[in-house]
Amino acid sequence: MSHDIHKYAFFLGCIAPNRYPGIEAAAIRTGKKLDIELVPLKGASCCPAPGAFGSIDLNVWYAMAARNLILAEQMNMDIALICNGCYKSIWEVNHKLKHNDELRDSVNEVLKEVDMEYKGTSNVYHLAELYYNDEVCGLNKLRDSVTTPLSGVKVACHYGCHLLKPAKDREFAGGAIGDSEHPMWFEELVDALGAEAVEYRNKMQCCGAGGGVRGYDIAHSLDITNEKLTNMTAAGADAIADTCPFCQLQFDRGQFEIGQKFGVEWHVPVLHYCEMLGLAQGMSPVELGLDLHQTSCKPFLDKLKGGQ
Amino acid sequence: MTSAKAYKDAALAARLSDRVYRPAEDSDPSFTAEVEKIGGTAAHLCFQCGTCTGSCPSAPRSSYRIRTFMRRANLGMKDVCLNDPDLWLCTTCYTCSDRCPRDLIPTDVIMAMRNMAAKQGIVPKNFLATVNFIYNTGHGVPNNDANRVARVKLGLEPEPETTCKYPEFLPAIRKILEAYGTKQLADKVLSEGQ
Ligand code: SF4
Ligand code: SF4
Repeated sequence: MSHDIHKYAFFLGCIAPNRYPGIEAAAIRTGKKLDIELVPLKGASCCPAPGAFGSIDLNVWYAMAARNLILAEQMNMDIALICNGCYKSIWEVNHKLKHNDELRDSVNEVLKEVDMEYKGTSNVYHLAELYYNDEVCGLNKLRDSVTTPLSGVKVACHYGCHLLKPAKDREFAGGAIGDSEHPMWFEELVDALGAEAVEYRNKMQCCGAGGGVRGYDIAHSLDITNEKLTNMTAAGADAIADTCPFCQLQFDRGQFEIGQKFGVEWHVPVLHYCEMLGLAQGMSPVELGLDLHQTSCKPFLDKLKGGQ
Repeated sequence: MTSAKAYKDAALAARLSDRVYRPAEDSDPSFTAEVEKIGGTAAHLCFQCGTCTGSCPSAPRSSYRIRTFMRRANLGMKDVCLNDPDLWLCTTCYTCSDRCPRDLIPTDVIMAMRNMAAKQGIVPKNFLATVNFIYNTGHGVPNNDANRVARVKLGLEPEPETTCKYPEFLPAIRKILEAYGTKQLADKVLSEGQ
């Protein structure tokens, strides 16, 4: 186990810093115990949203994502991020521009007007994949950082879509992370915190929010969410763990909206993996901003043995 | 059209045994090529197995059928595709794309069609609202006062280290959005007040 500090430019996206700031705070603080240092990526913007924005014009999506990538290139750093949607924009555009000269040239031609040039010198990672990677962190180091194990609770892992899919375009080292049909690495990450990850029917299904559908047809979008909630609770889940603040918003606010629209009541706390890691490392619910969640986290916190 | 097994109505039997769909004047032959170019996937290789629709979370709760859009792409049915409200019900989950036995990316066929529709001003307002949020603040989901208070309570600065804290980065963002005509499109369509 190495004690080298791994430094990354921290790409925040929108929903974490502007709706669930506890995720940002947790990622930075928990990283200190894991030798992962997250350096501010000054002037970054929206990734931009792959569904809502890419649907209008993929070319402007490439250019806007490239601008964010260039900011990291100027720091000579790789990017770490905490959102599946951001991963799709930042990782995928980086990958496309690195391998497609024609596309890179057309993007650079426009970026010239703002004195920027994409070079392709940075790599992009999701923090969850870095936690799992033994060369950066790994399950043992994660387990060693836990001071208040999350024992006595069952957790349903929501992988989300855009970290893993389309799998044929992704390039995760080793087979463990890249499988998009039935991966288990997220369950392992949750188990490492002392909680019990449960499997449930159709666990790789989308949360329902993506592609602009949440804004376009909220009832359609929530009906997908409702199906996931049904399957998760059937497996006895006390909470949902996610790696994407947009999925988190869909589950967290969605439960309230489902109540209003469909008259179905749910009370399943929704936590980003960084927030769970924060709890397991002894951060308090207030320090994690869990009171900002629309679906109360209290049932989950009450059930944790040792009652934090 | 006769065969050992046929419908009694000869005209119906003839129609049902004709396996070639002819969209007549609806067809624009350049459509398939353009979809393939923007979407970066060889849509014409689709053999209509339906694995995509069978995997699709949007299919069971709407009339949206990704396989139908694949077929229409290959028949050149441009107007039908771009004007179908179902075009905007794909969550872009990419499940179809991971399972397609022809190794296609149906999701990106949808993205290509959406891009073409948007160029014609056919695009739901919520998509364009995102453009304006980004133009004004750099964020699709901007900061607000309640969140600033919450951030400070967590020991963070009220503004994240993004365009929120460094608005001097906004002019470049605006230039990019204008260079592609994205801002102009948003203004035009939103002012028409659908
Ligand atoms: S799964 Fe692929 S080949 Fe089958 S119908 Fe869909 S796009 Fe066509
Ligand atoms: S990407 Fe779109 S079409 Fe494909 S399975 Fe998901 S929602 Fe359906």
